Amino acid sequence: MALRFSDIVEEAWLSARALRDFGDHFFNPTVRLGVTGLSRAGKTVFITALIHGLTRGGRFPVFEPFATGRIARARLEPQPDDAVPRFDYENHVRTLITERRWPNSTVDISELRLVIDYQRQNGADRTLTLDIVDYPGEWLLDLPLLNKSYEQWSQESLALSREQPRAKLAAPWHAQLATLSAEGREDEQAALSAARLFTDYLRACRDERFAMSLLPPGRFLMPGNLAGSPALTFAPLDLPQQSIAPEGSLWAMMVRRYEAYKDVVVRPFFRDHFSRLDRQIVLVDALAAFNAGPEALADLEAALAGILDCFRIGRSTLLSALFRPKIDRILFAATKADHLHHSSHDRLEAVLRRAVARAVARAENTGADIDVVALAAVRATREATVARGREKLPSILGTPASGEIANGETFDGTTEVATFPGDLPLDPEQLFTGETAFRGLSSAAAEKADFRFLRFRPPQLDNEGPDGPALPHIRLDRALQFLIGDKLQ
Amino acid sequence: MSERPQHRRPATFNLDDPGVIVMDPDDASRPARGTVHVTPETDPALLPVAVEAPVLPMQRGFRWGAVFWTAIAGLVLLGTGLGVAHLIEDLFARSESLGWLGLGFAFAAALALVVVIAREALGLARLATIEKLHQRAAAVLLSDDRPESRAILRDLLKVAHQNPQLARARATLTGHADDIIDGADLIRLAERELMTPLDQEARRLISSAAQRVSIVTAVSPRALVDVLFVFAASLRLIRQLARLYGGRPGALGMIRLMRHVIAHVAITGGMAASDSLIQQVLGHGLAAKLSQRLGEGVLNGLLTARLGLAAIDVTRPLPFTALPRPALGDLAKDLLRKRDSDV
Repeated sequence: MALRFSDIVEEAWLSARALRDFGDHFFNPTVRLGVTGLSRAGKTVFITALIHGLTRGGRFPVFEPFATGRIARARLEPQPDDAVPRFDYENHVRTLITERRWPNSTVDISELRLVIDYQRQNGADRTLTLDIVDYPGEWLLDLPLLNKSYEQWSQESLALSREQPRAKLAAPWHAQLATLSAEGREDEQAALSAARLFTDYLRACRDERFAMSLLPPGRFLMPGNLAGSPALTFAPLDLPQQSIAPEGSLWAMMVRRYEAYKDVVVRPFFRDHFSRLDRQIVLVDALAAFNAGPEALADLEAALAGILDCFRIGRSTLLSALFRPKIDRILFAATKADHLHHSSHDRLEAVLRRAVARAVARAENTGADIDVVALAAVRATREATVARGREKLPSILGTPASGEIANGETFDGTTEVATFPGDLPLDPEQLFTGETAFRGLSSAAAEKADFRFLRFRPPQLDNEGPDGPALPHIRLDRALQFLIGDKLQ
Repeated sequence: MSERPQHRRPATFNLDDPGVIVMDPDDASRPARGTVHVTPETDPALLPVAVEAPVLPMQRGFRWGAVFWTAIAGLVLLGTGLGVAHLIEDLFARSESLGWLGLGFAFAAALALVVVIAREALGLARLATIEKLHQRAAAVLLSDDRPESRAILRDLLKVAHQNPQLARARATLTGHADDIIDGADLIRLAERELMTPLDQEARRLISSAAQRVSIVTAVSPRALVDVLFVFAASLRLIRQLARLYGGRPGALGMIRLMRHVIAHVAITGGMAASDSLIQQVLGHGLAAKLSQRLGEGVLNGLLTARLGLAAIDVTRPLPFTALPRPALGDLAKDLLRKRDSDV
């Protein structure tokens, strides 16, 4: 009963704040755009390219208000939330353009406010405030924990870790787990080493060769300032069925810390950031999953389903805008589309559409719009046709990042190569038919894999104009049109 | 892999490798055998996108003018009705048979009015559909939106259904509707299939109208006759073109079309003057030296042709992308050749 009451208080709190926000934004509408994606999906690059394109003026023929010239200008402003780090836009741009390096990955939430001065179609001058909230997708996978007990979570995590190819990676942790007794006395050192081995296992799953996605709790991989605190020092245990935790046992300690994790980490994130989003883009790096193999793809699908279950989606009505803001548009974007020839973009989109099909069907009933697009926020490659004998391969030209390996050759980051990454199937179902659907790095040697997507360095840009070069992109304008085009009518 | 024989293995080619040759896209020569040729493609994103300016500026605001005319029309209708009612009452007072006759006439008139209004409304709706199709197609050419292009194709086939010449083209297009074709490409395909015969016919219509106008102007005795004839010929041409491209304008529809066409001539006037009109004016000068009436005839013919070209832009359901836009120069050539053979 106590829990029920706290839920009600929580809801009331959210409603009160939504009401206040609504009053503030009646005349100057604000859109909170959530940008998320699992690590290495390209969140930082997406936001950097978006802001760069809007403030500096990019090539956005499909983004209607921009193409027709109704957007007078866009400028950065101090953000409203004082406790959230600012998105370090200036440094990211410098890294991208002058150093030709991809920016460092998102490890924490950050935010940036962009103010767009525009003229409505009927001629009235208006301002749209766009708050871009960048947060790691791993945190989203924590949200389902709110409804799970420690026992449930522990059982699910263990079952997952005993499947292939995870079992191999989890072996050291499983070995240590076997020495622990859940009902034994609580032992700080045992908890510490269990948490460390569990984290190592999660980290190993994220490696390029396996590219697993479903790895809660997310904060274990990016602890931030909570590193080493008890809230992050727990791990699943082999629990006896149908029993309750004895007082003073290792089990009881784990339960307490798990609950602390929910209170300290998950719930504040949900309340302060997640529940206030209006629009959401989920960036997905499907290519890494193709590299790794069918298990990674299945894992990605499960992770996407988990992410979608968290969103409060539905058409925004006046009432819901007042009391319970909802996300009314979600865009799933397969990033790094520039790593494929454009003739394959549709197939990439089809794969992603297949992966989120269940979620889309559910969202259609609620009236929210969901779309899928293959995009590249910063286009690092050019396209070329490679003729090898009779064969013509639709390929791409680019400079692989240093350390990338293909055909047994390690690149140093200066040579340019043409690469054909492999044919995506016409029918996406073929990729989801189980463990033998295609061969990836997790199960086959590198030269046997069906797909090989190299990572490329950012493009060399000629520095024309006073504001620096425009960043080339693929379909970033379509994404913008879907996400905020209707707010700029 | 046995189940997917068409799957090609990934491959990487180092451009510094002597066995790899980077070729110019325009270079048609065939370098030595046994090497790998890399041909960079032109970046589709950097190609200039032909953006058609919308044919008309968007309507905005509340249409007080429309309200005014509607209200006036309503008043006039009420007044007429009242007058007719009085008239029939008077007729009945004079003689019953006259009264019945009057009532019969009144009913016939009312019925005809309803039918005429319905036809006008249908015609206007159809014109609006075509205009909307044009705008949507232009948008899809930019956005490459596949579902939208399918929807446009369906609507287009509906509009083209009344034209029996297009039966084969329609069948071809219906066959392609489920293929994997990008949005913009589908629109281009539809344009090539459906619009080619129509464009030829439109060209023929314009050039015959222009010839007629120029001949009549050259031989007509009075300026007033010229003006009336040019006006009638233009109206007829616009109506024919609208019908050709699938519209069925009535009187109101014609007024609307005329306005659009004239607006379009005004918008595109500057553009045309720069490319082709100069030589036409020079040609006219030459013709005028020979005979003043001949020169006037040629000029009037050219003006009619320009009006016709503008009418094509307004009435055609798809913008010009895959097919060339008929140019004034081509039509003028027809016109002058004909004049030469006549004279």
